Order: sequence, then structure tokens, then C-alpha cells
Amino acid sequence: MCLAIPGLVCELISEKRVMVDITGVKREADTSLLDEALEVGDYVLVHTGFIISKLDPEQAKEDLKLWEEILSS
Amino acid sequence: MLTFYLLQRTYLDFDIMSEPAQKYRDKEIVNALINKIKQLTNKIGHKIKIMHVCGTHEHDVVKAGLRSLLPKEIDLIAGPGCPVCVSSAQDVDEVLWIADNYNSTITTFGDMMRVPGSKESLYQAQGRGVDVRVVYGVSDAIKIAEETPEKDLLFFSVGFETTSCVTAAEVIRTNLPNFSIYSSHKVIPPAMELLLQREDIEFQGYLAPGHVSTIIGIKPYVFIPEKYNFPVAIAGFEPVDILMGILSLVKQIDEETPIVDNTYGRWVKHEGNTAALRTMDEAYIVSDARWRGLGVFPMTGHEISDKYAHIDAKKKYDIPELAAVDLQSGCICDEILIGKSKPHQCKLFNKACRPDHPIGACMVSHEGTCNVAATYEEIKWE
Ligand code: SF4
Repeated sequence: MCLAIPGLVCELISEKRVMVDITGVKREADTSLLDEALEVGDYVLVHTGFIISKLDPEQAKEDLKLWEEILSS
Repeated sequence: MLTFYLLQRTYLDFDIMSEPAQKYRDKEIVNALINKIKQLTNKIGHKIKIMHVCGTHEHDVVKAGLRSLLPKEIDLIAGPGCPVCVSSAQDVDEVLWIADNYNSTITTFGDMMRVPGSKESLYQAQGRGVDVRVVYGVSDAIKIAEETPEKDLLFFSVGFETTSCVTAAEVIRTNLPNFSIYSSHKVIPPAMELLLQREDIEFQGYLAPGHVSTIIGIKPYVFIPEKYNFPVAIAGFEPVDILMGILSLVKQIDEETPIVDNTYGRWVKHEGNTAALRTMDEAYIVSDARWRGLGVFPMTGHEISDKYAHIDAKKKYDIPELAAVDLQSGCICDEILIGKSKPHQCKLFNKACRPDHPIGACMVSHEGTCNVAATYEEIKWE
């Protein structure tokens, strides 16, 4: 129920709406619940038609660093 | 060999920050994490019980077969993480009372359809002619209300913060005379505190729900290590995410340094989702809430604030006091919901109570602990 699905912003429609590509299926999503601005190419989490989070690419890179530590230790 | 592998991995990973990513299911990393967890549990030398409070975690843990990969010292138990399962029969009864007395159309999430009320579920009521419609979310319910102004329509809203913030956005901006919202929202951190205070359940760490945390951030959990000296790890849902969370908890237990560790930082910001939090603050007040079979927990719900009374079904209709029955005879959902019992300990499990014929709420949703246990045999990885 609290499942939110990751997708890729592929089009900015209006101030409060964007198009998100969720594994090949395009869906409109509402951005009213997001303070950050979105651009095409941002990864976002969508829950019941609303974007609830934007991926932090720097943090995703941190994940990779951590894995390498784990793999090499 | 390892160097080559690492080089290859680094090279491959530079072109993506992608989600959903196979890499969070990478077998090599899963194995490395399991080994790390094993080393630490050996060192700790006693059983470790970890509770998650998220139906999606239960679903994904079982789907990925993680319990069979983890060392036997780790017991991963499911807490009250399925918002559908924890909603009380009284809420279903009241929604049906409104439909019966005001000829209202009920809209709600698919998962709510079979949740037992005291006498019947919405699905059963549909069979006797009540107009019940499944929607993807509150916005779709509003669309139906706009298209049928002659019909009185109600949205039965359940969920933790991930879902209730979406409903909040519509509470603030919607004003239709024929539309209202019945709120059965729950707030998770105070419920986590109540479980820590119970003496009949014992566990050593909380795996906190990733998607709820994208909304609420880190702060609402901080009292758990500070006041209870108890570890928390926020975790995502892919196998690597879940294991990262478990590894963090085992580390915290070993080092006796409980904190709130955010292992889902690519999606969960320290401050959470500020726009969603503002919207919820505006739309709701924190209230007491009824949890199925467990009674009323103080300050664990979100009711619509008086400012938006026009959209609050509980204020729009004069609902009488109804005597509700949360648990049908034999159902131990109350114990399942707090991780005190496991599904196979219920004598109705997979006999009278099955996914196609649920008797208790935990058998209804895909995220309900009994439903997950009945649907998947835990998959073993080769
Ligand atoms: S198996 Fe069915 S009756 Fe038993 S606890 Fe689970 S939901 Fe309730």
C-alpha cells in the first residue's frame, strides 16, 4: 500500500504536472507534493499519481562506494 | 579476479543512477552482505529479533526469499505495517452506514474491498447493491464526483504517511458539495513507541519503512535510540536495500551504539518531504486512532482539521455509535499485527481463512502477513 514506484521524468507538462516513464509505461503525475524543481531525466518516486520524492544521485553514488567497501573487505 | 570484478562494476555503474536497478538485486552484493551479517551474528552470539513495520517489506522479504538466506540467529518479524490490516472494523461499518443512509457511492483502494467489517466487507455490501468503486487514488474519486454531481460520493482513505499526504493535497484544494473523505489514516512512529513499551513482545531493532520515511524523514524516529536506546535503520525494498538495513541494525547491536541510520538515502532526505509535511500539517490534526483488535492508540491517527470540515465525512454525516467486532472467532490478527504470533499459529490459517476467502484483515491485502505467508512459499535461491 505504501509502495511507491520509481520512474523517469520524460516531459514537463505544466507547473504541477509531469509525464513519468515507469518501466516503459508513461503516466502523468502531480508535483504538488514536491518542493524541488524537476527536470527531464530526474528519477522520481510515484505514489497514487503524486510524486513523493526525487532521487539524490550523489547518494546513489554513495551506495556504490559502500558496496565496493563491503565487497573488498 | 576480485580487482577485475570491481573495475568492471565501477565502469558499468558510471552510466546510471537508474531506478529500478538490477544492481540493487545483484547476487554478488547480496552474498557479500549476507556474509557480513553472518560474521557479526556469530560474534554477537545470541538470537536477534528484528521487527519491520511495513507490509511492502514483508512482501518483498518473502518474495526474494531473504529469510532463508539470513543466518538462523536472525528472526525478522512483521509488525503493524499494513494499513489495510490495521484499519478497524468500525471504520468499515461507519462507511457502510453512510452509504446505506445517504445512498452514497463509496470509493476506495482495491485492498480495502475485502477487509472485514463487523458484519460484512465492502465487497459483500456491493453484492447487495451498495455502490462501491475501486479507484487508484483520491484524485480518481474526485474525478468521478465531478462527473456525477447528482451523486453523493465518499472516499474511504486509509494509509500511513506515504498515502495520507496525497489525500491531504486534495483535502486542501477540493471543494465539491457531493464529495467527502472518511479518514482512517495512521501515523507510524508513535505506534512504534507503543510496541516498545509492551512487555509481551521482545525484539532488538526496528527496520523502518523506506517510503513512509521519504515523507517524514529522520526526525520522528530519533526518540527511539534517544529514549529507548534502541536501534533503527531506514531501509528500501530491493534485496540489497533490505540487507543493508539489517546489516546496519546488527552493527548497531554489536557496537551498542543505537542511532537512526538512513540506509535509503538516495530517496530519503534527512528532513523528509517538506512540501508533503506542510500539506499534512495544514490538512490534518494528529488524533487517537483505532487499530484492529488492539484498541485505540493515542496520537496515532490523522483526522481532517476543522478548517476543512466541509470535506470530512465524519462531520458531514451524523454517524451513530455502532458496536463493532474487529476479530471474528478464532482470528488472531491482533497478535499477528504486533509480531507476537505468526500466521501458521492461527488455527484458521490456510484452512477456513485463505486469500480467496479471508476471515481476518491480515489475509486480505497483498501486504498482509497472513496473505503473504499463504501466497508465497519462501523462495530458496540456488
Ligand atoms: S489466518 Fe486469517 S483468521 Fe487467522 S490470524 Fe490470519 S487473517 Fe486472522
